[in-house]
Amino acid sequence: MARQATGASPLGIRCRELNVGFSANGSKIEAIRNLSFQAAPGQFLSIIGPSGCGKTTLLRTLANLVQPNSGRIELDGSPVGSQHRIAMVHQDGGLFPWMTVIENAAFALEAQDVPKTERTAQARILLERFGLGGRESAYPHQISAGMRQRVAFARSFLSRPSLLLMDEPFAALDAQTRLRLQNDLLAFWERQPITVVFVTHDIDEAILLSDRIVVLSSQPGTLVRDYEVRLGRPRRVARRWSAEYMELRTALLEDLGLAEL
Amino acid sequence: MKRWMAPLAIPLVVLVSWQMLSTAGVLDPLFFPPPARLLPAAARLWASGELPMHLRATLLRLSLGLILGVLPGLALGLAMGRIALVRRALDPVISALYTTPKISVLPLLILVLGVGEAPRLGLIAAAAFTTMTIQTADAVRAIDPNYSEVARSCGAGTWLTWRRVYFPAVLPQLLTGFRLAFGRALLATITVELFNCQRGIGSMIVMAWQTFATDKLYLGVILTALLGIASHTALKLAERYAAPWRRA
Repeated sequence: MARQATGASPLGIRCRELNVGFSANGSKIEAIRNLSFQAAPGQFLSIIGPSGCGKTTLLRTLANLVQPNSGRIELDGSPVGSQHRIAMVHQDGGLFPWMTVIENAAFALEAQDVPKTERTAQARILLERFGLGGRESAYPHQISAGMRQRVAFARSFLSRPSLLLMDEPFAALDAQTRLRLQNDLLAFWERQPITVVFVTHDIDEAILLSDRIVVLSSQPGTLVRDYEVRLGRPRRVARRWSAEYMELRTALLEDLGLAEL
Repeated sequence: MKRWMAPLAIPLVVLVSWQMLSTAGVLDPLFFPPPARLLPAAARLWASGELPMHLRATLLRLSLGLILGVLPGLALGLAMGRIALVRRALDPVISALYTTPKISVLPLLILVLGVGEAPRLGLIAAAAFTTMTIQTADAVRAIDPNYSEVARSCGAGTWLTWRRVYFPAVLPQLLTGFRLAFGRALLATITVELFNCQRGIGSMIVMAWQTFATDKLYLGVILTALLGIASHTALKLAERYAAPWRRA
């Protein structure tokens, strides 16, 4: 499956034989064991697995916040490091409560020293596309959880990252809001693809959004299977129930030990 | 009845009954001068320049003591919040200082520094300093680690992270710390003025007490109370104004 590196082959993200552990209360915990996967630039990769499969640890390692015990992570062909811009969307959005919607969205550009008028203009366009037109000067506590998550999306896309990490960004939302946001994320990302590693518990969400799905087992997280999702794009939330979709869904349920339910 | 009237009800009842009991001759005006007499007394004291002189002395002492206490408190609190070693070394000392009634060292301070402003300012500053240090250290330690992660993943440098993330994150608690420090400094100011002091509301109260000038004594107490209430309210408002993102 792994393409032999010739030096010219384009690589979005590649993880090779990753081992990650951490110590908690004096005892060593093995979080990730011998994990390898990869995705082409602009591919959407989902990580799915039961609780305790080390998904959050994996994301923190990919974000270069945690050092692996062994193995390597490459982004666009070079080892992950501070030269890479890696954006992260948290479950709760991770917005700064003291900044307005537009200041939050533009913060990544502010960090890149983009002049205020320009970053505001860019943020305004993106907020508009994420359905937040007219709410630019609201504070996060004044808008709904779904809207906060849209702001977080706008912020992460605005920074034009080489890698976008998403840690269950829809988990805290109600079912209908989740469908709308999935659809909007899909529509936006398909117009402007960037490499995404997306962590989720939700099988349907993983199939709907992804080009690849990596299934992990729990404690420690090891690779169970690595799927390529061969469903056509553009995809939309309400039009996804094809035979291929159902086939993949059944396979994933089996991998997770949920097929008997 | 409007909402804002409720808090005024009890003071009003007290004042009216006090006035009535005085007029009826139940209360001895030597110890309990009727409220109606206090206002002209205040006007007289103000016009003579005595009241402004004492007020100015108190406010000056309070401001200097606050500056001398709050700024080092901020700096030390910041260091304690960020650097574990500093925190471990100083936390017990600061906590002990915080809980010690600082007035107990005034005689010692006078002995060492001599009679004058230095021991007074030292004591006021110490009262503000411990409070500000503890509040600042707590605020810095309580910064959500998610915030620094988001800042980092957005590519923000140290200066931008402090200015746009850490500072606003701690600002509300810093203002609360300042309000508490102000309260303790005011208490310390009035207290040190009770001892061997020529000017200030506290010294005015003592002199009035020694000369049985109860009007003046009451005015001093009322003025002290008003100072406390006014500063507390103003600083509460400032906290709300400076942190509009906080839910009411």
